[in-house]
Amino acid sequence: MATVHNWQLGRKMDYPYLESRPKKQFTAVFNTNRCIACQTCTMADKSTWTYSRGQEYMWWNNVETKPYGGYPQFWDQKILQILSDEGNNPMEWFTSAEDKDDKKAPYGYYGGDTIFELAKTKDLNQVAVGYIPEDKEWRFPNIYEDTAVSKKTNIETEPVKEYSQLPVHDRWFFYLQRICNHCTYPACVAACPRRAIYKREEDGIVLIDQKRCRGYRKCVEQCPYKKPMYRGETRISEKCIACYPRVEGKDPVTKGRRMEARCMSACVGKIRLNGLLKGNPDNPDPKNPMDFLIRIQKVALPLYPQFGTEPNIYYIPPRWVPRAYLRQMFGPGVDEAIEKYSAPSREMLAVFQLFRTTQTMISRFEIEYGKKVYETRTNGKKFEVFDDTVIGYAEDDTELVRVKVEEPTWESSEKRMITY
Amino acid sequence: MLKKVLWKSVVLVSVVVAILFYFNNKTLSQGSEEPVSQEENIPTKEFLTVKYLPLETKYVDKAFEQVDPLNIILQKQDKAIPHGGGSIKEIEIRGFHNGETIFFRLAWDDATNDERAIKPQQYRDAVAMMFPLDIVTISPETPFSPRMGDRAKPVNLWHWKADWEKELHLAGGYEHIEDEYLNMFDDFASNPHPVKGHSDLYASASLVSGGRASGTLLAKPDRGRSVEDLNAIGFGTLTSQVHQDVKGKGDWADEKWSVVIYRPLITSDKNDVQFVPGMGTFFNVAVWNGAQGDINGQKSISIRWRPLKIERVKYQE
Repeated sequence: MATVHNWQLGRKMDYPYLESRPKKQFTAVFNTNRCIACQTCTMADKSTWTYSRGQEYMWWNNVETKPYGGYPQFWDQKILQILSDEGNNPMEWFTSAEDKDDKKAPYGYYGGDTIFELAKTKDLNQVAVGYIPEDKEWRFPNIYEDTAVSKKTNIETEPVKEYSQLPVHDRWFFYLQRICNHCTYPACVAACPRRAIYKREEDGIVLIDQKRCRGYRKCVEQCPYKKPMYRGETRISEKCIACYPRVEGKDPVTKGRRMEARCMSACVGKIRLNGLLKGNPDNPDPKNPMDFLIRIQKVALPLYPQFGTEPNIYYIPPRWVPRAYLRQMFGPGVDEAIEKYSAPSREMLAVFQLFRTTQTMISRFEIEYGKKVYETRTNGKKFEVFDDTVIGYAEDDTELVRVKVEEPTWESSEKRMITY
Repeated sequence: MLKKVLWKSVVLVSVVVAILFYFNNKTLSQGSEEPVSQEENIPTKEFLTVKYLPLETKYVDKAFEQVDPLNIILQKQDKAIPHGGGSIKEIEIRGFHNGETIFFRLAWDDATNDERAIKPQQYRDAVAMMFPLDIVTISPETPFSPRMGDRAKPVNLWHWKADWEKELHLAGGYEHIEDEYLNMFDDFASNPHPVKGHSDLYASASLVSGGRASGTLLAKPDRGRSVEDLNAIGFGTLTSQVHQDVKGKGDWADEKWSVVIYRPLITSDKNDVQFVPGMGTFFNVAVWNGAQGDINGQKSISIRWRPLKIERVKYQE
């Protein structure tokens, strides 16, 4: 085992391979607040990559309803249960000022065991703790769809409220969009006894080499996010490939420029922004929209950072959900992220406009400042909206998009109005 | 000036020495392999004689009755993660050659016949023989890892698989997903207007068919054999050969597997072990019990090398 730094946990941890960060890292920001679970992303992915024999149950992308849903069923509860039952240390975050470090530990320090540490200390015959789901757990990509959970009340003394109100709803659910996290420390890579899985140096995409794989299913067992899947038809495993030909710019539509993955560009709710993070997390680029949202503003958070794989798909947490649940899912950065998202800074509001404006990957943004158009109070604080213009550029500095915060509208003249 | 250069070089050299010292005996990659004992490098005294029997291939079954078996006690693989196996306690091996082909018969008790690996939780029964690729001497002074070989010490492996055996005798030579999941269908199966207007889509199916597009033997229909010919130079290096030379035949009856594996004594492939009558080599065996979830390193193994003595061809007067 080598010792590597996991910035999401704010500490060093054990991992079978040395720390070797890619030059750039495939990443995405998913705004859970906007998702309507239309599953267009799910179908875009399915119809592109997994429409063949043996891939029937393979949903590399799925949207599940939390807290009850999951694909495979209860994937996250099961891993959390193992970590909680078997763990040597309490699953606690330390978030005081001295535990935080803007570069090395932006969310604070995590004291619990990662999936790698637990497997090692308990001598569990695995590199990372995990399990192979049963067939019945793979039945529904969105089981318990739209099933809400209610705050538990004593019905005799405190009747259930008929309405919910921010900041936290008494009755809630939300949609969680899931693809492979293309982790910095992938459990699948660690688990594979024959190194058939690799992480690409150029963009951090994690792939299963279909020539090397022999269907041992250790990745299926040990990926905590359960995204590598065994394909019975070919006797070997497959996983989300981050649409790497598109990311490489092989699709003629974007003329050689990097293109967003299928599930990202198909998003109807405009919740997804796909791009590449700068490889070095210590030195984020303030003009890269991904670095800006994830590393600088910290408005988008990793999914279950406590697993220890340093996942690279980031989520803007849903505003209405009880914070304890969100802190378990996205770590201790939740409160800050929701506060920032509820009343975004001038720059952040501008960057939010870039979501789903182009399917070419935006690697840089500039803002042209406009006049103030609106003022209100949010969370007891003054909140102003400015009609700024955000411009997105491709890697080769071509201007891709130019969007205003205030959506331009046009009114037809009365003469053109036709009444029936 | 010279003093400065001297100082610099002294500092640099000491840093290098310190690094070497620190990383000595440290595995920088997946450090899941434990060191093996000295005893493992001593081949056993018991050996298997591959008798010369001038028979035609069709009399193989009877021929095995004419040779003495070697019974090998198997044990759990517990040196490289994932550990496992141990459910198969013993295996019986017989061998003979007819001057052209070498035959081995491996027989072991297994209450279940696991000849499918389609469900994610389903594992196949299998057996493998391993030989040093080159002519070697094995002793504590000249060690040769009995566990998948080592760097610069390649091994040749023959891996018989129960599902390959079953597929060998099926029309189409392959079991499909719907053989396990009866009502499974994909978009192609349910399309009432196949091909017409969708020729691009149909042509693309093989391209995105992962394993099949990559050409791996595991995903290939009509392999024409049930034994895979492989090489390895240590844990995690197992690689299928481009040139497959080994064949086999397995039968499961009375809760017992009986598998015959055969290959020409001499092949033209430099990645194959060569058997010269009158000479000897070494071998090891491993058995996987699918019902116990055995796969990969989870297997029952013989551990120490067994000498293999190949009888001379006796020419008739």
